[in-house]
Amino acid sequence: MRAQLMRRTLPSLVLGLLFLSTPAMGSCLDKYQELLGQLQKQADIMQRTSLLLDPYIQSQGLDKDGLKEHCRERPGAFPSRDALQGLGRWEFLRTLDTTLGRVLHRLTALRRDIPKAQDLETLNRAKQNIRGFKNNIHCMAQLLPGSWETTEPTPTDPGTSPSPTPTSDTFQRRLEGCRFLHGYHRFMHSVGQVFREWGESPSRSRRHSPHQGLWKGTRRMQLSRKNKRLLPRGQLPR
Amino acid sequence: MALFSVFQTTFLLALLSLRTYQSEVLSEPLPWAPESLRVFINSTHQCLHLQWSVHNLAHHQELKMVFQIEISRIKTSNVIWVENYSTTVKWNQVLHWSWESKLPLECAKHFIRMRSAVDDAKTPKQSFWSNWSSWEEVHVQNSLGHDPFFVFPKDKLVEEGSNVTICYVSRSQQNNISCYLEGVRMQGEQLEPNVSVFNLNHVAFIRETGTNIYCKGDQGDSIKGIVLFVSKVLEEPKDFSCETQDLTTLNCTWDPRSDTGLLKQLSQSYTLFESFSGKKTLCKHKSWCSWEVAPESQEMYNFTLTAENYLRKRSVHLLFNLTHRVHPMAPFSVLFTDVSATNATMTWKVHSTGNYYTLLCQVELYGEGEVIQHNVSVEVDGKQLFGGLEPDTEYRAQVRCANANHFWKWSEWTRQNFTTTEAAPSEAPDVWRNVKSVQGHSVVTLFWKPLSKLQANGKILFYNIVIENLDRSSISRLLSIPAPANGTELNLDQCLYQIHVTANNSVGTSPASVIIVSGDPGNKEVEEERVKGMEDGFSLSWKPQPGNVTGYIVEWCDHPRGPLCDLQWKSVGPTTTSTVVSSDAFRPGVQYNFRIYGISTERVPYLLEKKTGYSQELAPSDNPQVVMSNLTSRSFTLSWKDYSTESQPSFIQGYHVYLKSKAGQCHSGSEKAVLSDDAVCCKYKIDNPKQKTFVVENLQPESFYEFLVTPYTSVGEGPHGAFTKVTTPDEYSPILIRIILPMVFCILLIMIICYLKSQWMKEKCYPDIPDPYKSSVLSLIKSKENPRLTIMSIKDCVPDSIEVLNKQEGTRKSLTETESSKATYLYLLPTDKSYSGPGPCICFENFTYNQAASDSASCGHVPVAPVAPPSQLGLLTSPENLLKALEKNYMNSLGEIPAGETNLNYVSQLASATSGDKFSLPTNPPEPALCSEYKMQMAIPLGLASPPSSGSSSLSSVTLLDEGEHYH
Repeated sequence: MRAQLMRRTLPSLVLGLLFLSTPAMGSCLDKYQELLGQLQKQADIMQRTSLLLDPYIQSQGLDKDGLKEHCRERPGAFPSRDALQGLGRWEFLRTLDTTLGRVLHRLTALRRDIPKAQDLETLNRAKQNIRGFKNNIHCMAQLLPGSWETTEPTPTDPGTSPSPTPTSDTFQRRLEGCRFLHGYHRFMHSVGQVFREWGESPSRSRRHSPHQGLWKGTRRMQLSRKNKRLLPRGQLPR
Repeated sequence: MALFSVFQTTFLLALLSLRTYQSEVLSEPLPWAPESLRVFINSTHQCLHLQWSVHNLAHHQELKMVFQIEISRIKTSNVIWVENYSTTVKWNQVLHWSWESKLPLECAKHFIRMRSAVDDAKTPKQSFWSNWSSWEEVHVQNSLGHDPFFVFPKDKLVEEGSNVTICYVSRSQQNNISCYLEGVRMQGEQLEPNVSVFNLNHVAFIRETGTNIYCKGDQGDSIKGIVLFVSKVLEEPKDFSCETQDLTTLNCTWDPRSDTGLLKQLSQSYTLFESFSGKKTLCKHKSWCSWEVAPESQEMYNFTLTAENYLRKRSVHLLFNLTHRVHPMAPFSVLFTDVSATNATMTWKVHSTGNYYTLLCQVELYGEGEVIQHNVSVEVDGKQLFGGLEPDTEYRAQVRCANANHFWKWSEWTRQNFTTTEAAPSEAPDVWRNVKSVQGHSVVTLFWKPLSKLQANGKILFYNIVIENLDRSSISRLLSIPAPANGTELNLDQCLYQIHVTANNSVGTSPASVIIVSGDPGNKEVEEERVKGMEDGFSLSWKPQPGNVTGYIVEWCDHPRGPLCDLQWKSVGPTTTSTVVSSDAFRPGVQYNFRIYGISTERVPYLLEKKTGYSQELAPSDNPQVVMSNLTSRSFTLSWKDYSTESQPSFIQGYHVYLKSKAGQCHSGSEKAVLSDDAVCCKYKIDNPKQKTFVVENLQPESFYEFLVTPYTSVGEGPHGAFTKVTTPDEYSPILIRIILPMVFCILLIMIICYLKSQWMKEKCYPDIPDPYKSSVLSLIKSKENPRLTIMSIKDCVPDSIEVLNKQEGTRKSLTETESSKATYLYLLPTDKSYSGPGPCICFENFTYNQAASDSASCGHVPVAPVAPPSQLGLLTSPENLLKALEKNYMNSLGEIPAGETNLNYVSQLASATSGDKFSLPTNPPEPALCSEYKMQMAIPLGLASPPSSGSSSLSSVTLLDEGEHYH
């Protein structure tokens, strides 16, 4: 039991420390490689099923033969790895931000089915991690050339809504929640891979040179820092 | 009779007509039949709600009616429920009735119909059933979606232990569907071709989030299921109670008992209803609830606490008078005023609970292990005076209050500490002294015991000592010893002194303790008595003194064996002649010495008695170190004078001497004893502990004995450790020693003399120049009994030459060096004229002994080569015989000769002039070649001991060479 608790809390602590280094201090890292490395690490940690999926399966009694195999991501619920790899950097970040926003909503909906305070705490920590990750996405977007606001919404895979309408049928809702969490962890795994590819081949997307982005990002940072001083913590800059 | 017949016929006709009328009425529809029957479905609760109305009722008419309701399942003929529902029907009223199905309504079609009858005394004629309404069909399956199959009921909530029916409905009859309860397959029964039901009996609570029941099609890709929420049975709240602290708010509490174990949204709720006011409140907490007291001073309250969940409702009631449920708040502002050494005043305040209430407050005072309790009646402020307190003492006071008129509960305690002020010490310190005379002076060590807390009344700061010389009253001295010292040393002369000792704190001085000290320590010699210790100490008693005494003092050391004696004393009154001395320092096996002093009226102490004893005697842990002396063939003496009896763990009463012998006989004065190892020995008993020597007698000469000396006490004797071994000598050995020793001395003396005169002895017995008469050759010749053969006398030999060898003694030369030795020959011409021509000439070469043989003796066997080759013997007068003899020697020398016999190898002293000896002859000797020569005997080193023969005698050369050096 203690080991299980450790498995759950340790990655969260690591994530917390990672997040502390940037958004908690109210400013973005202006070094592309450092920020990219941080996003990779965060994605690597968030893909771990011990953070959300495993405790959920256990609390809902889905850890039975015949049920576990139905706890699989619904095709199309999250963007596939191929789809993510096919996106440009802007589009990728935007998709990531949008998808994680939906994940946050869905996690909030899951709260009603979780009775134990300990599991609720795990869920809340996961939500905080996602918020921190989204902040870092915005920081990364500032380092890329172009404008976050002016970028066209990127069409993603058909049916990439990770939050289908929750049904009133508790059993179905339970299965859907499980599938959703499975898809979420898989999605974060794919995200980590994409970020890793960014690090391996920085010239993959030559349209958006990191160095160019750095310059622009620095200028944007100066502006955004002024704004951020007025913003409460956790609120994303617009 | 005829009249009776007519009456009977009339009655039958009337009855017949009535029957006819009734049949006519029944054939017509009842005017109050149920109409507008509608059926509603509540799938969650598996309920059917029926709604209908009864027409044709007059305005304001009320009619008591019975409605018979029939419910069929799957088909109308399969009636599963019939119930009569009685109610009073009013004009224009819509009637309702509900029925809960055990089978989920989605699992099968249901059909409902009803009819009515009037059950009213006002209309007896109408008490017949109406016609049945038409069947109302309930078919929920029609509203299901397009999934291949469904499982029902959805999200059902049941209590633990109840029975539940579950079904699945398949769109197709071909679907092979299997259903599972928490992963365990369930066995169902076919209700319809596409419907199967599963009956779960006594369902158990598994987890808060419910029990998963699911079905899968044969393809395995589709799964449908339900969650069955199993609740633990809701229990009735316990210990429901309400009280108020301020008469404005009631606080009601209860024990909710065990949790139902459901999600929060399904868990039970608690409501509080007060019947007099009609108010109701939904409690936010599971175990307590607040209620605002009505401002109109409602005194009586009748509460109903209801615990309710979806399945059950539990209620408890409570009726009380508000003023009887006052639980006051804890007092506050507890203060102490006018605190002195023995008094203090405590004040406190209480929270207001209205103008008409008096509180009873309980005050407790804790100090020095005592508790003093006071009850005080209080309206607003409380006050309590504490008297008889101890000075300089910390006290803890606490107060709590309750309603004085109707006691309900005490408030919480409010606590506060205070300390009384100091006062002057109340008692004189207990003083004693130790006097020693040193070089005409008295060294007085004063001791005093620290005052107890009760006596000190504060912190003792110093002790004042006033020394007054009674012989010269004008002289006095004052010493101030700071606390916490408990003694001081004074150097006084032989005068009489009166010493006053007082203890002082910040407030004042204690009464003085007075003691008289003189130069005489007063330690007169008195006999020491033994006392026996008890568990709680030593009980000492002494003879009462005839004169006036002001008291007695018992003195002892807590640590008599330690370097610091740690002097203790105990003062008792003049009428006391016994006391029990106890101390935590007393240890078993330690001897304590007590001195009892009487204090005269002049306050001069004098020694009365001495006592000594052990708090607990222990058996001796070790035996004395015994020294044995005077060992004779018949006795020996044992002595252990170093053994101290005072330092033993008990009083030594004597000694046991154990003696083990092979004979096993015990002589008079001893007795047989069997030791713990079953060994039998003789035991001698010494009753006098001061006797520390013992003579063991009546022993046997040349016998082995073992002895052990061990002390014995009242609690046992010492350990039976290792015995000391001794063997008595024989009776004659001393005599023999007296003879042998002079003899040995004499022999030694002779040997020394011989050694000193060895040169003389050598010359006398075996000179360097051998005597041929002592040669072995002579004996050899003699053995052949050849009278003709004699040793040639030198006088008989006519020398013709003399060889003189210039050779240094004691030096060894190598073979090469020997070449340089040059022989000098002195030729002697015969003076005898008879000598004609070359005659036999004898030349002596000294090969007397071979040093190598001696050197190699350690090798064991040394093959000794013949020194004289046979060719040399040709000069002998009888060569054949001599040859034989030499051959015999040669063979012997080739054989193994014991090393001891080869120390001196005596070889032939004869040598031929023609021999190849490199020492003897030059390569070209002068003529005449044949002559006899004599050489000096000398020791030849092994390396130089080449044979006298030529190189042809290889055998000789090999055998005489050292093992590592072979030359050819």
